Amino acid sequence: MFYRENGQFKTSYAADQQIFTVAQDRYAILGLLAIAFLVVPMVANDYTFQAILIPFVIMSLGALGLNILVGYCGQISLGTAAFMAVGAYAAYNFQVRFEGMPLLVALIGGGLCAMVVGVLFGLPSLRIRGLYLAVATLAAQFFVDWLTTRAAWVTNNSSSGSVSARALEIAGWKINTPMDKYLLCLGILTLLALAMKNLVRSSVGREWMAMRDMDVAASVIGIRPVYAKLSAFAVSSFVVGIAGALWGFVHLGSWEPAAFSLDRSLQLLFMIIIGGLGSIVGSIFGAAFFVLLPLFLNQVPHWLGLPISTATATYLEHMIFGALIVFFLIVEPHGLAKLWATARQKLRVWPFPH
Amino acid sequence: MTDAAVLEHDRAAAGAPQPPTPIAQEKANAMTDKKIGDVILDIQNISLRFGGVKALTDISFNVREHEIRSIIGPNGAGKSSMLNCINGVYTPSEGSITFRGQTFAHMNSRQVAEMGVARTFQNLALFKGMSVIDNIMTGRNLKMKSNILLQALHLGPARREELAHREFVEHIIDFLEIQAYRKTPVGQLPYGLQKRVDLGRALAMEPQVLLLDEPMAGMNVEEKQDMCRFILDVNDEFGTTIVLIEHDMGVVMDISDRVVVLDYGKKIGDGAPDEVRNNEDVIRAYLGTSH
Amino acid sequence: MAFFLETLFGGLMVGTLYALVAIGFVLIFKASGVFNFAQGAMVLFSALVMARFSQWIPQWLGMEPGLLGNLLAIVVTLVCMVIVAWVIERLALRHLVNQEPIILLMATLGIAYLLDGFGPMVFGSEVYSIDVGMPKDPVFLLESTFDGGVMISLEDLFAAGIAAIMVVALSIFFQKTKTGRALRAVADDHQAAQSIGIPLSRIWVIVWSVAGAVALVVGVIWGSKLGVQYSLSLVALKALPVVILGGLTSLPGAIIGGLIIGVGEKLSEVYIGPMVGGGIETWFAYGLALCFLLVRPQGLFGDKIIDRV
Repeated sequence: MFYRENGQFKTSYAADQQIFTVAQDRYAILGLLAIAFLVVPMVANDYTFQAILIPFVIMSLGALGLNILVGYCGQISLGTAAFMAVGAYAAYNFQVRFEGMPLLVALIGGGLCAMVVGVLFGLPSLRIRGLYLAVATLAAQFFVDWLTTRAAWVTNNSSSGSVSARALEIAGWKINTPMDKYLLCLGILTLLALAMKNLVRSSVGREWMAMRDMDVAASVIGIRPVYAKLSAFAVSSFVVGIAGALWGFVHLGSWEPAAFSLDRSLQLLFMIIIGGLGSIVGSIFGAAFFVLLPLFLNQVPHWLGLPISTATATYLEHMIFGALIVFFLIVEPHGLAKLWATARQKLRVWPFPH
Repeated sequence: MTDAAVLEHDRAAAGAPQPPTPIAQEKANAMTDKKIGDVILDIQNISLRFGGVKALTDISFNVREHEIRSIIGPNGAGKSSMLNCINGVYTPSEGSITFRGQTFAHMNSRQVAEMGVARTFQNLALFKGMSVIDNIMTGRNLKMKSNILLQALHLGPARREELAHREFVEHIIDFLEIQAYRKTPVGQLPYGLQKRVDLGRALAMEPQVLLLDEPMAGMNVEEKQDMCRFILDVNDEFGTTIVLIEHDMGVVMDISDRVVVLDYGKKIGDGAPDEVRNNEDVIRAYLGTSH
Repeated sequence: MAFFLETLFGGLMVGTLYALVAIGFVLIFKASGVFNFAQGAMVLFSALVMARFSQWIPQWLGMEPGLLGNLLAIVVTLVCMVIVAWVIERLALRHLVNQEPIILLMATLGIAYLLDGFGPMVFGSEVYSIDVGMPKDPVFLLESTFDGGVMISLEDLFAAGIAAIMVVALSIFFQKTKTGRALRAVADDHQAAQSIGIPLSRIWVIVWSVAGAVALVVGVIWGSKLGVQYSLSLVALKALPVVILGGLTSLPGAIIGGLIIGVGEKLSEVYIGPMVGGGIETWFAYGLALCFLLVRPQGLFGDKIIDRV
């Protein structure tokens, strides 16, 4: 009886098309954002920022980007980490080769480079789909792996093979504490999530979903498959590229090509499967799950008095992920987001059963 | 009654005056002011082969503007294939199609859509993951011009365009009487309603020619009357040319201006409903011959 | 010239090893329409189990480690793979009947992760070695024609022979037997096969068990060559381009694709590699697969992919 929409009818199309049509949802989201931006920085300690919150926010961004491609447009991609790497290395090159390059410009530059590479490796999607496309995207992964390891110009001729980002700063605001880093990432996530949500509910988003659901019918309506698929690759790679740049600059500080391996691609895929394909909020759920599970596995056995080694914890993690992937694919292909939506639906009619 | 029985029945009763069916009455009312125009779509010697199978053999007929043209024939006659050729889904092996004076050896789906031809599908090609309103909005896609950056910001021109098209789509929803299902994912709707959404999406394209592939398949009498009403209204109010594949002989005879009959990929009849009804070949195709 | 021949032979040998893994993929795809991303994990898992059992069994039975111990270990591992196949069918595949291929692919990714976790947790995570008595010394051929002769590894030659035998046996199985026909029906359409009375569950257990057996063979061969360690499962990633090249539904295609990729990799690394900084091997296979995907997605021998409206 708290979550009723009584009395909330819309008198204009604009009102009906808002992102959060139910007033309670609007307040909840504003509250959540307030907590994320204001309360958390006051309460959390450095460790929490570095080990939990920052990875969570950046992975959410990556999952968001991947979800656009896989969940909304239906194009499978196993090479996401490659695009993250392009974003990171490109941003690094912009920062290092151009004196006085502002951080945000370098990040956006990284995103744009990732976008170009993404569109390039997305070209096969015009001819093939499904698992064949998956293999084509794997080509991106291996090729970028090779490029970042062998091509000296990528790492600015670094002798060790790893690169480090400079000190972060935006218009005088020095970003060196974990809290600052967290706020930077959170701000970028919020902006891009809003942009993605807008895209998804406008005509380009519908084009993507039309391609996912039935691409033959889509072309009969006049949707250009080329534009729809490549725009999905472009937007997705842009977001993923920025996530990669943030991962390198903010989270890792200095990194090697191994930071963007195939494992990372698969992890992002798992996040969106568990979180919910075709759902903005699902990407965030998936990232949260992914970051929290290892912590859970490290702490809970201790509490229960059954200490397990870190190695065993890692293997257990693998097993639980694998099992959950299969579980979600069988039981709820729309992931945690659907479970959440169902819960809200039940809440709307509570205390009545239906 | 089966199609064959309808033909027999009509033929037998051809002499006696019959009261018009409700649909025919509506049609008669609508027909008084209708002007059928020049040839808008001309099919010339179209043949279609799949490997060794000849789906269509040397089909020629035309469609005049503002008319309702039906394509009928027993199952497997090639009716859907014909529509697919017009629509660009299949490429004919021979022949050409002339639309509004321009001749094409084969049509390109998108080009055809841009030229103002829309269609519905026999097996429903709806986007199951999207809501009713989103499905119909995809039909407006050709008319939406704003670029992706503006859409990401959802400001200014993008927003205005979105709202303007939303209004148009709402008119279609009112017309088809599916207001209550606006936000429902299409996959959850019953079959009859899904067919209406399919029609709505085609109408959203504001087509000049509407290709309907068995729009009344699987419907009961009331649903068929509703669908006929929609089709006649579209033809009457917007002047849309309609090319219709349908099995229900009663409907075909009542609402069509002209009829083409196909059998085994060949044309065996072409003309006004009455002419076709009395055509020996057509009757034989439905009833079979005694040897 | 001798060097060229050596590189060529080396490539051919590596190619047959890839082909062995590819056969596992083709098998499952041909028979259940599922693209098994977990094949690599199955190779590693079976190799691990075999390696451990070949250590444990002699201990338990008080024997010297040797041929008998290894044989027993192989038998035990085969049983394990059948159990794994049964569990996979029961818990995962059964519930995913007639889902889209992409969902099944992601499910196999999940299974891969599961095996990657389960194996080391239960059987240990060190690097183990397998010794099945394969000849380790290289052999020198054509010493009269070329100075010093052309070096060929007997081990690899052995592997090539085994691959050939497996292909022939499996091809006969698919074409000539009743079960083989049932497998092909299932690959085409799960529900249709079910509706004519083919016992889907049993078929799937059979297929995955056979794939598990193939994985075991691969695991033993590669494991005795490289040692049983995590990188073994990465071998499967090499096999993907092989399968694309040869065609997902063709067993001979897997062999030919493997040979082409093996030779191509080695030759490109030796002759083109130095021009661009080396390391081409890592992506050459995928580059070639990409070209094929754009031009001829069904590969050299695969069935044409038809999209129905």
